[in-house]
Amino acid sequence: MIETGVLIGFEGEPLFWLEPPGRSATSIPDTRELWNRIWEHRATLQGFAHSHPGGGMPWPSHEDLTTFAAVESALGRRLIWWITSRNVLAQVFWQGPKPHDYDVMAQATRPRWLLELRARTDYEGKNLWKLS
Amino acid sequence: METQLNQAIAQAALNAGARVNVTWRSMNGDLPDPVRVDATDAELRAMITEAVRTGSVPGIAADPRADFTDFVLDRFAPTAVRPYHLIAIRPKTPFGAP
Repeated sequence: MIETGVLIGFEGEPLFWLEPPGRSATSIPDTRELWNRIWEHRATLQGFAHSHPGGGMPWPSHEDLTTFAAVESALGRRLIWWITSRNVLAQVFWQGPKPHDYDVMAQATRPRWLLELRARTDYEGKNLWKLS
Repeated sequence: METQLNQAIAQAALNAGARVNVTWRSMNGDLPDPVRVDATDAELRAMITEAVRTGSVPGIAADPRADFTDFVLDRFAPTAVRPYHLIAIRPKTPFGAP
Protein backbone atom coordinates (compact mmCIF):
# COMPACT_ATOMS: atom_id res chain seq x y z
CA MET A 1 0.00 0.00 0.00
CA ILE A 2 1.02 3.60 -0.40
CA GLU A 3 -0.37 6.66 1.40
CA THR A 4 -2.50 8.86 -0.85
CA GLY A 5 -4.42 12.11 -0.36
CA VAL A 6 -7.26 14.02 -1.98
CA LEU A 7 -8.67 17.54 -1.63
CA ILE A 8 -12.46 17.56 -1.20
CA GLY A 9 -14.79 20.36 -2.30
CA PHE A 10 -18.02 21.56 -0.64
CA GLU A 11 -20.11 19.18 -2.75
CA GLY A 12 -17.94 16.22 -1.81
CA GLU A 13 -16.18 16.25 -5.15
CA PRO A 14 -12.48 15.31 -5.41
CA LEU A 15 -10.52 18.42 -6.45
CA PHE A 16 -6.95 17.14 -6.54
CA TRP A 17 -5.35 13.73 -5.96
CA LEU A 18 -2.10 13.94 -4.01
CA GLU A 19 0.31 11.23 -5.18
CA PRO A 20 3.77 12.83 -5.08
CA PRO A 21 7.09 11.07 -5.60
CA GLY A 22 8.64 9.95 -2.34
CA ARG A 23 5.45 8.87 -0.59
CA SER A 24 5.47 5.53 1.16
CA ALA A 25 3.30 3.17 3.19
CA THR A 26 3.66 5.46 6.20
CA SER A 27 4.07 9.01 4.92
CA ILE A 28 3.40 11.63 2.26
CA PRO A 29 6.22 14.19 1.87
CA ASP A 30 5.90 17.97 1.98
CA THR A 31 5.00 19.44 -1.43
CA ARG A 32 4.46 23.00 -2.55
CA GLU A 33 1.98 21.60 -5.08
CA LEU A 34 -0.53 20.66 -2.37
CA TRP A 35 -0.43 24.13 -0.82
CA ASN A 36 -0.84 25.70 -4.28
CA ARG A 37 -3.96 23.58 -4.88
CA ILE A 38 -5.37 24.36 -1.43
CA TRP A 39 -4.91 28.06 -2.08
CA GLU A 40 -6.39 27.77 -5.58
CA HIS A 41 -9.52 26.03 -4.24
CA ARG A 42 -9.72 27.86 -0.91
CA ALA A 43 -13.19 29.32 -1.62
CA THR A 44 -14.78 25.90 -2.25
CA LEU A 45 -12.63 23.62 -0.13
CA GLN A 46 -14.31 21.41 2.48
CA GLY A 47 -11.30 19.40 3.58
CA PHE A 48 -8.61 16.89 2.83
CA ALA A 49 -8.58 13.10 3.11
CA HIS A 50 -5.58 10.79 3.31
CA SER A 51 -4.98 7.12 3.91
CA HIS A 52 -3.15 5.29 6.67
CA PRO A 53 -1.79 1.74 6.61
CA GLY A 54 -3.66 -1.22 8.10
CA GLY A 55 -7.18 -1.54 9.42
CA GLY A 56 -9.16 -0.25 12.40
CA MET A 57 -9.62 3.28 13.68
CA PRO A 58 -7.01 5.57 12.08
CA TRP A 59 -5.47 8.16 14.39
CA PRO A 60 -3.59 11.27 13.23
CA SER A 61 0.16 11.38 13.82
CA HIS A 62 1.87 14.40 15.36
CA GLU A 63 3.03 15.27 11.83
CA ASP A 64 -0.62 15.17 10.67
CA LEU A 65 -1.81 17.44 13.50
CA THR A 66 0.88 20.07 12.98
CA THR A 67 0.16 20.09 9.24
CA PHE A 68 -3.60 20.48 9.88
CA ALA A 69 -2.98 23.43 12.20
CA ALA A 70 -0.48 25.14 9.88
CA VAL A 71 -2.74 24.90 6.83
CA GLU A 72 -5.74 26.21 8.79
CA SER A 73 -3.64 29.13 10.08
CA ALA A 74 -2.67 30.08 6.55
CA LEU A 75 -6.24 29.70 5.27
CA GLY A 76 -7.82 31.48 8.21
CA ARG A 77 -10.53 28.85 8.58
CA ARG A 78 -11.07 25.29 9.73
CA LEU A 79 -11.28 22.24 7.46
CA ILE A 80 -12.44 18.66 7.87
CA TRP A 81 -9.52 16.23 7.83
CA TRP A 82 -10.53 12.68 6.97
CA ILE A 83 -8.24 9.71 7.51
CA THR A 84 -9.09 6.27 6.20
CA SER A 85 -7.66 2.88 7.04
CA ARG A 86 -8.46 -0.24 5.08
CA ASN A 87 -11.93 -0.44 6.67
CA VAL A 88 -12.64 2.63 8.85
CA LEU A 89 -13.08 6.27 7.88
CA ALA A 90 -12.50 8.92 10.57
CA GLN A 91 -13.15 12.64 10.63
CA VAL A 92 -10.62 14.80 12.41
CA PHE A 93 -11.50 18.36 13.33
CA TRP A 94 -10.20 21.08 15.60
CA GLN A 95 -11.86 21.15 19.00
CA GLY A 96 -9.51 23.52 20.86
CA PRO A 97 -8.58 25.34 22.85
CA LYS A 98 -4.93 24.60 22.04
CA PRO A 99 -3.63 24.71 18.45
CA HIS A 100 -3.22 20.93 18.19
CA ASP A 101 -6.38 19.88 20.07
CA TYR A 102 -8.14 17.84 17.38
CA ASP A 103 -10.96 15.32 17.93
CA VAL A 104 -11.25 12.06 16.00
CA MET A 105 -14.65 10.54 15.21
CA ALA A 106 -15.54 7.50 13.10
CA GLN A 107 -17.76 8.35 10.14
CA ALA A 108 -20.44 5.81 9.28
CA THR A 109 -21.38 7.24 5.89
CA ARG A 110 -19.19 6.53 2.88
CA PRO A 111 -18.45 9.58 0.76
CA ARG A 112 -18.21 8.97 -2.97
CA TRP A 113 -14.44 9.53 -3.05
CA LEU A 114 -13.70 6.87 -0.42
CA LEU A 115 -13.59 3.85 -2.72
CA GLU A 116 -11.23 5.58 -5.12
CA LEU A 117 -8.98 6.77 -2.28
CA ARG A 118 -8.72 3.21 -0.98
CA ALA A 119 -8.13 1.88 -4.50
CA ARG A 120 -5.33 4.40 -5.15
CA THR A 121 -3.85 3.51 -1.76
CA ASP A 122 -3.68 -0.06 -3.04
CA TYR A 123 -4.39 -1.79 0.28
CA GLU A 124 -4.37 -5.14 -1.44
CA GLY A 125 -0.97 -4.61 -3.08
CA LYS A 126 -2.33 -5.16 -6.58
CA ASN A 127 -0.21 -2.41 -8.11
CA LEU A 128 3.17 -3.12 -6.53
CA TRP A 129 4.67 -3.40 -9.99
CA LYS A 130 3.91 0.28 -10.59
CA LEU A 131 6.07 1.35 -7.65
CA SER A 132 9.22 -0.45 -8.66
CA MET B 1 29.73 38.52 -23.78
CA GLU B 2 26.34 36.97 -23.10
CA THR B 3 27.76 35.04 -20.17
CA GLN B 4 29.20 38.24 -18.67
CA LEU B 5 25.83 39.95 -19.11
CA ASN B 6 24.01 37.09 -17.38
CA GLN B 7 26.53 37.17 -14.54
CA ALA B 8 26.03 40.91 -14.16
CA ILE B 9 22.26 40.48 -14.04
CA ALA B 10 22.57 37.69 -11.48
CA GLN B 11 24.87 39.82 -9.32
CA ALA B 12 22.47 42.76 -9.53
CA ALA B 13 19.59 40.53 -8.45
CA LEU B 14 21.69 39.23 -5.56
CA ASN B 15 22.58 42.77 -4.45
CA ALA B 16 18.94 43.85 -4.67
CA GLY B 17 17.98 41.23 -2.10
CA ALA B 18 14.94 38.95 -2.05
CA ARG B 19 11.28 39.83 -1.95
CA VAL B 20 9.41 37.92 0.76
CA ASN B 21 5.81 36.87 0.19
CA VAL B 22 3.68 35.91 3.19
CA THR B 23 0.33 34.13 3.47
CA TRP B 24 -1.52 34.28 6.79
CA ARG B 25 -5.21 33.89 7.68
CA SER B 26 -6.17 33.93 4.00
CA MET B 27 -4.37 37.24 3.48
CA ASN B 28 -1.31 37.68 1.32
CA GLY B 29 1.34 40.36 1.08
CA ASP B 30 5.04 41.14 0.72
CA LEU B 31 7.41 42.38 3.41
CA PRO B 32 7.91 46.10 2.73
CA ASP B 33 11.69 45.77 2.36
CA PRO B 34 13.84 43.17 0.60
CA VAL B 35 15.91 40.81 2.73
CA ARG B 36 19.36 39.31 2.27
CA VAL B 37 19.21 36.46 -0.21
CA ASP B 38 21.34 34.34 2.12
CA ALA B 39 19.26 35.00 5.25
CA THR B 40 18.69 31.76 7.15
CA ASP B 41 15.27 30.19 7.60
CA ALA B 42 15.41 31.02 11.31
CA GLU B 43 16.21 34.69 10.58
CA LEU B 44 13.43 34.91 8.01
CA ARG B 45 10.87 33.20 10.24
CA ALA B 46 11.67 35.64 13.06
CA MET B 47 11.42 38.64 10.70
CA ILE B 48 8.12 37.48 9.23
CA THR B 49 6.60 36.66 12.61
CA GLU B 50 7.50 40.09 13.95
CA ALA B 51 6.17 41.83 10.84
CA VAL B 52 2.81 40.03 10.89
CA ARG B 53 2.38 40.46 14.66
CA THR B 54 2.94 44.20 14.38
CA GLY B 55 0.91 44.70 11.20
CA SER B 56 3.90 45.67 9.07
CA VAL B 57 2.96 43.59 6.03
CA PRO B 58 0.74 45.50 3.59
CA GLY B 59 -2.37 43.41 2.92
CA ILE B 60 -2.17 41.42 6.15
CA ALA B 61 -3.96 42.60 9.28
CA ALA B 62 -1.88 42.59 12.47
CA ASP B 63 -2.16 39.33 14.38
CA PRO B 64 -0.33 39.32 17.73
CA ARG B 65 -0.67 35.52 17.85
CA ALA B 66 0.87 34.81 14.44
CA ASP B 67 3.09 31.73 14.62
CA PHE B 68 5.07 30.42 11.64
CA THR B 69 6.72 27.50 13.44
CA ASP B 70 5.19 24.89 11.11
CA PHE B 71 5.65 26.90 7.93
CA VAL B 72 8.14 26.25 5.14
CA LEU B 73 10.27 28.78 3.23
CA ASP B 74 10.45 28.24 -0.53
CA ARG B 75 13.26 30.09 -2.32
CA PHE B 76 13.02 30.95 -6.01
CA ALA B 77 15.90 32.25 -8.13
CA PRO B 78 15.31 35.16 -10.54
CA THR B 79 13.81 34.36 -13.93
CA ALA B 80 13.39 36.31 -17.16
CA VAL B 81 9.82 37.09 -16.11
CA ARG B 82 10.63 37.83 -12.45
CA PRO B 83 14.10 39.39 -12.30
CA TYR B 84 14.48 39.18 -8.51
CA HIS B 85 14.87 36.50 -5.85
CA LEU B 86 11.59 35.48 -4.23
CA ILE B 87 11.10 33.80 -0.88
CA ALA B 88 7.59 32.56 -0.07
CA ILE B 89 6.44 31.23 3.28
CA ARG B 90 3.65 28.66 3.31
CA PRO B 91 2.31 25.98 5.68
CA LYS B 92 4.09 22.64 5.65
CA THR B 93 2.13 19.79 4.06
CA PRO B 94 3.60 16.38 5.00
CA PHE B 95 1.48 13.60 6.52
CA GLY B 96 2.25 10.44 8.43
CA ALA B 97 5.45 9.42 10.08
CA PRO B 98 7.99 12.29 10.31
